[in-house]
Amino acid sequence: MASVATATTLGKNPAQGSLARPSLVSVGTIVWLSSELMFFAALFAIYFTIRSVSTEWPPKETVLNTKFDGFITVILVLSSVTCQAGVFAAEERRIRRSGPLVKFWRWGLREWLVLTFIMGAIFVGGQIFEYTNYVRENFNTGGGMTISSSAYGSIFYLATGFHALHVSGGLVAFVFLLARLQRGRFTPEKLTSTIVVSYYWHFVDVVWIVIFTVVYLVPQPGK
Amino acid sequence: MKTEGLLFAGCAVFFAATDVVYWFLSHDPTGTTALALAVALAFLMGFYLFVTGRRTGMRPEDRPDAEISEAAGEYGFFSPHSWWPLFTAASVGTVAMGVIFAWWLAILGMMFVITTAMGFVLEYYRGVHTP
Repeated sequence: MASVATATTLGKNPAQGSLARPSLVSVGTIVWLSSELMFFAALFAIYFTIRSVSTEWPPKETVLNTKFDGFITVILVLSSVTCQAGVFAAEERRIRRSGPLVKFWRWGLREWLVLTFIMGAIFVGGQIFEYTNYVRENFNTGGGMTISSSAYGSIFYLATGFHALHVSGGLVAFVFLLARLQRGRFTPEKLTSTIVVSYYWHFVDVVWIVIFTVVYLVPQPGK
Repeated sequence: MKTEGLLFAGCAVFFAATDVVYWFLSHDPTGTTALALAVALAFLMGFYLFVTGRRTGMRPEDRPDAEISEAAGEYGFFSPHSWWPLFTAASVGTVAMGVIFAWWLAILGMMFVITTAMGFVLEYYRGVHTP
């Protein structure tokens, strides 16, 4: 029972560090997210390197469904908005909704988190759906884009796949956060966790906007 | 926090300048991309430190006349001891092994990762620790 003392101090921590100091958790999250940027930098570097040495870009057989992926991109971007709405609710200590489910302006953090989770899950599901389509494209002729079919296929699945893994990690974080919200009262730590999970979600969202722009919207041939 | 913000903003400016020079001297897409993202890395931290610094105001370490006792107080919650990080790390190792050797091992490891991460995250939210 040595840690009972820590349990009693749990509630005293201010949400964003003490009065004149930022929260260690927030600063750590930002530092980690900037290192994550360098992880994606490697993927972008692979993409641009392969593109610069290819004669045609993207390869002729590539059929990206920009319309469908644009649709799930919009869903992911909107999920950032709902996530932020949840943070605003949490800052006003509105954890549960204070009205019927249809009145979304009375929603608390939990409702916004669940909606964000559903939208993120739609994005990941849409990505998997598109992957199966790309792999099966021209299935009868033996074509289709797989991770080993071409250099383009490799970097396409690596870049979008690692991003989809990050989104899935965010979904797990939402589940953990919701589980913690179920336990005990709303302590300042939970507000900090909510804020840093939202940082992560916005980060993943911005990274996807860049990947989507680079891979889907500007695939002009390389030199 | 202005000093830290300026340090990182300075890094961002430096990387941006080197990026442009690098591109015109080498026309190498790999390094140019890496440097461009390094600008984003430094900018993200600099931006965060500036914004947070404006919100929290001057910390004791920003003032020359501050007393050491002013920095006292709660710094956050630190677990006194926990076995979960060990098991989480072992599970992540299992996933990495699975990616190399066999996919079934990766899937099994992924289940371990989720279970141990659950223990890691929720350790102080159950039993006597429930806030």
